[in-house]
Amino acid sequence: MKITVVTVVVLLMGCISLEYVDTRSKGRGKGSMWWGIAKAGEPNNLSPLSPGVLYMDSSVHGTLRKKQRRLARENPGVLVAVAKGANQAIHECQYQFRNRRWNCSTRNFLRGKNLFGKIVDRGCRETAFIYAITSAAVTHAVARACSEGAIETCNCDYSHHKSRPRVSGNSAVAGVRDWEWGGCSDNIRFGFKFSREFVDTGERNRNLREKMNLHNNEAGRMHVQSQMRQECKCHGMSGSCTVKTCWMRLPPFRVIGDNLKDRFDGASRVMVSNVGNAHSNNAHNNKYNKSNNINSNSIHNRREGKGRKQKYGFQLKPYNPEHKAPGSKDLVYYEPSPGFCDRNPKLGIQGTHGRQCNDTSIGVDGCDLLCCGRGYRTQVVDVVERCNCTFHWCCEVKCDVCRTKKTVHTCL
Amino acid sequence: MPGTILENLSGRKLSILVGILLICQIACFLIGGFVAPSPAGSQSILTTVCYDDQPDLFNKNDDNRWFTPKCKSINLQDKHSGLNATNFVFMGKMPLYNMDFSRWHQNLVGVLQVEMEHKKEITTTNVIDLTLDVKLGYRNKEDPDDKWTYHSSSVEKRIVECSSPNKDGYSYSCSTVQLFELGSLHHDYYLLNFRIPVDDKGTNANLGFISDIYLIIIHMNVGFTKVWLSLKTVLFPVLIAIMVWFWNRVHLLQRTPVLLEYLLMIVGGTLAILDAPIEFLTLYFDIPFMLLLGDIRQGVFYAALLSFWIIFAGEHMLIQDGVHKNSLKAYWMHLSGILVGCLSLLIFDLCERGVHLHNPFYSIWVTPIGTNLALSFIILAGISAGIYFIFLCYMIWMAYRNISIKRSVLPTMSTARRLHYEGIIYRFNFLMLVTVVCAAVTIVSFILSQIAEGQNKWDENVELEVSSALFTGVYGMWNIYTFAMLILYAPSHKQWPTDSLCGDNGEEVEFSRLPTDPSPNEISSLTTFAGKASID
Repeated sequence: MKITVVTVVVLLMGCISLEYVDTRSKGRGKGSMWWGIAKAGEPNNLSPLSPGVLYMDSSVHGTLRKKQRRLARENPGVLVAVAKGANQAIHECQYQFRNRRWNCSTRNFLRGKNLFGKIVDRGCRETAFIYAITSAAVTHAVARACSEGAIETCNCDYSHHKSRPRVSGNSAVAGVRDWEWGGCSDNIRFGFKFSREFVDTGERNRNLREKMNLHNNEAGRMHVQSQMRQECKCHGMSGSCTVKTCWMRLPPFRVIGDNLKDRFDGASRVMVSNVGNAHSNNAHNNKYNKSNNINSNSIHNRREGKGRKQKYGFQLKPYNPEHKAPGSKDLVYYEPSPGFCDRNPKLGIQGTHGRQCNDTSIGVDGCDLLCCGRGYRTQVVDVVERCNCTFHWCCEVKCDVCRTKKTVHTCL
Repeated sequence: MPGTILENLSGRKLSILVGILLICQIACFLIGGFVAPSPAGSQSILTTVCYDDQPDLFNKNDDNRWFTPKCKSINLQDKHSGLNATNFVFMGKMPLYNMDFSRWHQNLVGVLQVEMEHKKEITTTNVIDLTLDVKLGYRNKEDPDDKWTYHSSSVEKRIVECSSPNKDGYSYSCSTVQLFELGSLHHDYYLLNFRIPVDDKGTNANLGFISDIYLIIIHMNVGFTKVWLSLKTVLFPVLIAIMVWFWNRVHLLQRTPVLLEYLLMIVGGTLAILDAPIEFLTLYFDIPFMLLLGDIRQGVFYAALLSFWIIFAGEHMLIQDGVHKNSLKAYWMHLSGILVGCLSLLIFDLCERGVHLHNPFYSIWVTPIGTNLALSFIILAGISAGIYFIFLCYMIWMAYRNISIKRSVLPTMSTARRLHYEGIIYRFNFLMLVTVVCAAVTIVSFILSQIAEGQNKWDENVELEVSSALFTGVYGMWNIYTFAMLILYAPSHKQWPTDSLCGDNGEEVEFSRLPTDPSPNEISSLTTFAGKASID
């Protein structure tokens, strides 16, 4: 038995190395492998009670890069959160694009490369959205898992100590010391830092595609961070506001999906500019760093200073010189999207054949646009629906059953 | 009779004293800003939903049945046929991770934040009566891993206000509600278990689809408590020393102490009670009433300070009927405002924090009667504060009017007398100014701290903890203010010639005394002077 398991792992590893060559040749950036974790965890071995199990799972192992594996090892429990995040991202993407020609369909392939189809090989808007939403989802899910107490390394890095370099070994001790002195920081800090380390691993800011991925990943995180809402509580003398404490409330992920969808509609097209302008853009860099105020904290300060600044401190040039340069929350792309009307196996596009459309809408979900002018079939079907429901906590929804006739339009 | 030190101190000495006090003041600000962390910290804990297979046993407090992080957890998003509300127990272990509470954390406030999802088929109201069946347990480090000890339990109602998103799959935004308050944090770990019971009488009937319940815990920060207590430990003996010195000074005189001197002692005494670092006791004993005691100590000091101001102004206003001059009775009307205000606040505090000693989950705001009662006490306190303020303004205005009347006759006086009076007026004004500045700083810092809490840091580059700086700064300021009052209003030791306007030892005498003091009981020559004014 043991021998077979080993062989499987070896075989898998072999596949990965082949994959590396494959992806590199296409120049799509290499930060997308981990998406596979969304499917690798299925059906139900994401047991939160034993976080080690997931790590040992060879199918999960295969989707991760070396650094990501190290991060998973150093932060027990984090893989469950990442997997939840990846699934949340897919779910949200499909919700946001349910009425579009491209509906964010995923394929149940084992590894991340083909999770969203080959569309990610193109540097188009859809790819930009996928990168942003997955990065945002990891930030969100990790921050949430911290609140659950599922990740023990969610550090209480008390900001006064941030100038002090922290060695990875005694971070737990330092965390306890910080908690003892000044309490814990908000979990979003950890989520943000972790997402940077984990999601951005493969991207090195060498070519436009990697820059695009880095920018969109960062944009996704920025959306999570900026949607944090502050809640305060007064607990001073007699409960008055002489002492007031505030904390950040994690936004529902739907809000982030909505915002990213808005940015998708207004995404900026960028073009190849002189690589290496990282140094010439210090002003932008400073502003950028200030605006997110998390810049100086890596998970365990493995990589600090110059390298980090170069990785994130770049400015992309708009394709149309009259347009404004993309901001930190904007999505960027550099290739036009392919047509999504017809099935295109080369790009993994399903086409809009057989999709339901809305004949009264003049938007993208309207039958004219969604069916790409091919026309549509109209059927009248009997629908049995739940209606007039009353809900009783926790698990009881009492509903009437309503039968209605509905007209359904389907693209040819 | 000698006057107070304030009048007899040379300008140079006064400026040195003021300089020293200012340095102490700045030190207090800096200690808070650069050494201490923010006064309180928080941790938001996502409660785990545990499956309870024997719901009947939940309320039996005698058995040690607790849901810990090891419980069988349920995902609320899944369908749960066959289960009912009693099977769901929300669990929060405090604090998170492998941290533990230290006794320096002082106290703990728990706040609930309910996240509800809007579902097309579920209709809810915007104001939700949330009823919770709660119990709290604790554990110490040396206890075995799953031995939780019962602390308290209750069935509580909370009113949650939500605004509906009106879109399927979106979340309501709901207000947060306070769940409990612990006056002492004596144990290392706390565990909260609660259920959301449902019955036929409509309990929790209008609840929506709950997706998450967060428990936010707020505690004092260890670093801040340490800095705070160190500050108190330093200030307390200094204050005691100054008070002893002051009282000796008063008793060196061959007269009984006057009202203002008594009042200064009272202000000093109440400040000493506030300064006494009795919080050190919480490191060894479980003192749940410390929070309440802290409120009372602060309240008593403020009451004494407010009374001092009104009597200070009154003593310098000089209503000339010598019978009940210099006795508290003359000021009963003015002081009753303070008394009523403070009493109503005390009763309100006893109704909230006092009851917390018995039941930490209690809230006065959930029942209509309680809300009305609490509001009426607060309004009463507000009205008394208003009345007090009007009285104070009136008396200060009267005092200044008397002074300005006298000032108009100043040019007709002899040089020595004029200098004397001008000096007194200047220093009286100076002290009034200090009081006004202190009050203004307090109010401004309160407003600033409200704003500062919005942004966590003043500036990213300057690691200044604004709220702590304001806290220690204002606290230090009232201490220093009291020190200054005690020092400057202590009787002067300089012996003045009684029968000549300018003595031979003119070098030492900055301001000579009036040849005929109208009464030996006057505290300062300003009152003397004002008395003169009224006689004139």
